[in-house]
Amino acid sequence: MGQLIAAPVRRQRFGPQNLVLGLAILLLLFLVAYPMLWLVLGALGVPAELTLSNFDRAFTRTQNYTALANTLYLGLGTGLLSMVFGVPLAWAVARSDMPGRQVIHLLVALSYITPPYLTALAYIILLGPDAGLINRLLRAVFGFSSGPLNIFSMNGVIFVIGIHVFAFTYFLTHSALKSIDKSLEESAQVLGAKRWQTTLRINLPLVAPAITGGVLLSVIDSLALFGPQAIIGMPAQIVFLPTRIYATISSYPPRWGEASALSLVLVAMTIIGLGLQRFFLERRSYVTIGGKGVRSQTIRLGGWRWALLAFCTLVVAMSAVAPIGVLTLTAFSKDWIAPPSLSNFTLAHFGSALFSDQVAARGIYNSFRLAAGAAFVAMAVGAAIAYLDLRTTLRGRVFLDYLAMLPLGLPGTVMAVGVLLAFIRLPIGIYGTIWILLIAYSARFIPLATRSVSATLRQIDASLEEAGRITGASWLQSMRRILVPMARPGLLVAFLLVFIPAFSELSATILLYTGGTETIAIAIYRLNDLGQIEVVCALAVFTIAVVLVLSALVHVLSRDRTAPSEGVG
Amino acid sequence: MTIDRRRMLLAGSAAFALTATAGRGLAQGAAPADPAKIDLGRAKAEGRVVLYTSLDTQIVDTIIAPFRERYGIEVTYFRAGSSEVTGKVLAEADAGRPQADMVDASDLSSLLLMKERGMLRPFESAARALLPPSQRDPDATWIVDRLTQGVLHYNVAEFGSAPPQHWADLGRAGMAGRVSFWSASGGDGAPRIFTLAQHLGWDVVKSIAKTKPLRTVSPQTMAQIIERRERGIGLLQNDNIAWRSKLQGKGTDFVFPTEGVPSELGACGLLKTSTRPHAAALFHEWWMGAEGQALLSKGGKYSPRTDVPPPENSVPITKMKLLEQDYAVYKRDRAKILDQMADVFGGEWGN
Repeated sequence: MGQLIAAPVRRQRFGPQNLVLGLAILLLLFLVAYPMLWLVLGALGVPAELTLSNFDRAFTRTQNYTALANTLYLGLGTGLLSMVFGVPLAWAVARSDMPGRQVIHLLVALSYITPPYLTALAYIILLGPDAGLINRLLRAVFGFSSGPLNIFSMNGVIFVIGIHVFAFTYFLTHSALKSIDKSLEESAQVLGAKRWQTTLRINLPLVAPAITGGVLLSVIDSLALFGPQAIIGMPAQIVFLPTRIYATISSYPPRWGEASALSLVLVAMTIIGLGLQRFFLERRSYVTIGGKGVRSQTIRLGGWRWALLAFCTLVVAMSAVAPIGVLTLTAFSKDWIAPPSLSNFTLAHFGSALFSDQVAARGIYNSFRLAAGAAFVAMAVGAAIAYLDLRTTLRGRVFLDYLAMLPLGLPGTVMAVGVLLAFIRLPIGIYGTIWILLIAYSARFIPLATRSVSATLRQIDASLEEAGRITGASWLQSMRRILVPMARPGLLVAFLLVFIPAFSELSATILLYTGGTETIAIAIYRLNDLGQIEVVCALAVFTIAVVLVLSALVHVLSRDRTAPSEGVG
Repeated sequence: MTIDRRRMLLAGSAAFALTATAGRGLAQGAAPADPAKIDLGRAKAEGRVVLYTSLDTQIVDTIIAPFRERYGIEVTYFRAGSSEVTGKVLAEADAGRPQADMVDASDLSSLLLMKERGMLRPFESAARALLPPSQRDPDATWIVDRLTQGVLHYNVAEFGSAPPQHWADLGRAGMAGRVSFWSASGGDGAPRIFTLAQHLGWDVVKSIAKTKPLRTVSPQTMAQIIERRERGIGLLQNDNIAWRSKLQGKGTDFVFPTEGVPSELGACGLLKTSTRPHAAALFHEWWMGAEGQALLSKGGKYSPRTDVPPPENSVPITKMKLLEQDYAVYKRDRAKILDQMADVFGGEWGN
């Protein structure tokens, strides 16, 4: 602790700075390292015994390796879909003269922020093999005798998850394409290269690491998405690792050891994926992509721009417009099976969802306070870790940074198993209370806060704090009067970046909640089990509205935060 | 830290542990063994009951509301499928973190398992006198609180006036892609399928599985599937869900096949670890009492009490041929049965 602060002022061993930062380190170890340790111990059968039988069971039972194979297949499928959808859209928006580029960009963002379990529910209404609205339409138009599309299939799961995760490939590729200096393309054209040759030989190699990184991120995220895997996978009789882990614990007697061993398999898969993703993205460093002020060349497509617009419209219609549209229609319909009309319009389901239904009303309240609490804790810990990393020479700060990033690759189900095993036996009575959810949420979303605060701190020159210290301000005073006021917009963005996913979190909550601590995602999941689809859709619309408003706020704040530096640059 | 401070901390911790243990011991020692011993004042002072249940929340809410109003005691519940409820009670007990005061599950085997593990507290409910001996534990640790029959639930537009009348009809070639069945990932639907197989043979079940029935996670979602005509007919639907769907004019109806319908006994019991024994016992008596059971019946469930009429416009239970489940066998062989379900139907059964 003695070497925490690198400021040129004499340090106190137990001064407030070391106390605050030390507390943050302890909190990080408590929130992240301790549950992960228990995941390993649980897989080894601790505390009852010390055995490898859980691993044996995890790898030899048909149910488990089928789940593993399905999960890998799902990852490959969503990765492919992510590339097929993400790359053309990114190219169209970043480089072409296609009309409506801004709208397409916003709709991709909308499909990303929509919780994927809601998209899954929407697609059951849209693509149910016999009663799905799109299938009915296709049969009416083309005269098919049945189907023709079946959401209750492996392809259905891949599709629903794919239209959510393709945003990763889109955003990374879009950013890379925007950064290509047009002089490179101009040089190629001067040397006689045709447009398609420039695209294939100049642009593609330059953005290939971004595409690969985005695809891998899509794969990693899709492995962990419990909601659509459960909502569509169960009727399709397809088992994935997260749903298998859930089933081993939710059946009786619960098999904690087997769930822990399966969780470690999932952890290994995500660590490999993240390692590969990091490897590919780091390759950008030797690629000639310019920094600020780079102007990219807009490619004129002539008549082809309409064909490209049709493709992009189809993708965002599938990923955002259709699912949100059908959820909204159902939420406002007296009878969701009947066609929409004024006589079929009602607001009653919102009344039930927001006020009457005990679980739903409690879920909304709990989600707000949990998301706010987790955002505050994650922001505080993330700020401390980012500060240690960027402003101190503490030995081991890189390890702390890695530890803070670890949950990024951990599926919520896995995190929940670790948290349950770790905290159910502690003498402090947090099991069965909202606190255990707060711990899981804070741990899960610390990486988002850490990265966000880190980006903010990088923009604030450390010499400002040092100047304050030299002129006699204490560490706390320099924090309170210099750093925090300057970093305030960035801290608020970090807060919101955690609040948004925490508000609709399902994967971890499903294993940790109990009577009284239901969240909005649990209310949606459980009410759907109880067949109350209209109330479910009203809750879904409410959730999307909250997430949308907060995302717009993040967008505005981020723009305000970056505006001055852009001006200077 | 000085020795005195350490001693003080140790003494404080020991005192805390003793108080907590004694508190729990006292609570258990003073737990009422029958309704006459319920202390209303203590029940109100305890203030809250935690119920773990697999019953539909619409019925649970209806039963809880007047209890809360009458006694001012809050009832918080955790609602999930029967397997998940049982899994949670067992996991919490294993970890020494019991939360529930009372448990209710639609699968009696769950309660038998809890009794075997010594988790249930005997309580001589006043309702016991109104139930046949097979529906109450001789040791008074559990009591049947509802009967659910598995019926054929069908879409009227699809089958008109000639719906399938027998279980075996669902396995016919023309039924491919038209059947639905339900079971949550923990295997909640398995007991009644097992009962059907025990009485009519596994061949009937296997022939139905060959039609590639669409699986749903609950009876309620299966009703939705049938109402929308995603599938035309549901296997072993809860009679109360089929009854409600018909009553609400959702274009469905249901059949009690003449060869018999599996009857599932739901049961409830009080947990030994409850720290609110008087409030829990009071709620147990409300739940099993004439008023509570009448509300249950109003929600479409059959009450085991002889003095509570069946749901409105429904067939009296005495007029049905019931296929009874051997709960002891199911409890003993559950793991094997779930393996068999996975072999026959595929998918996740929590095995």
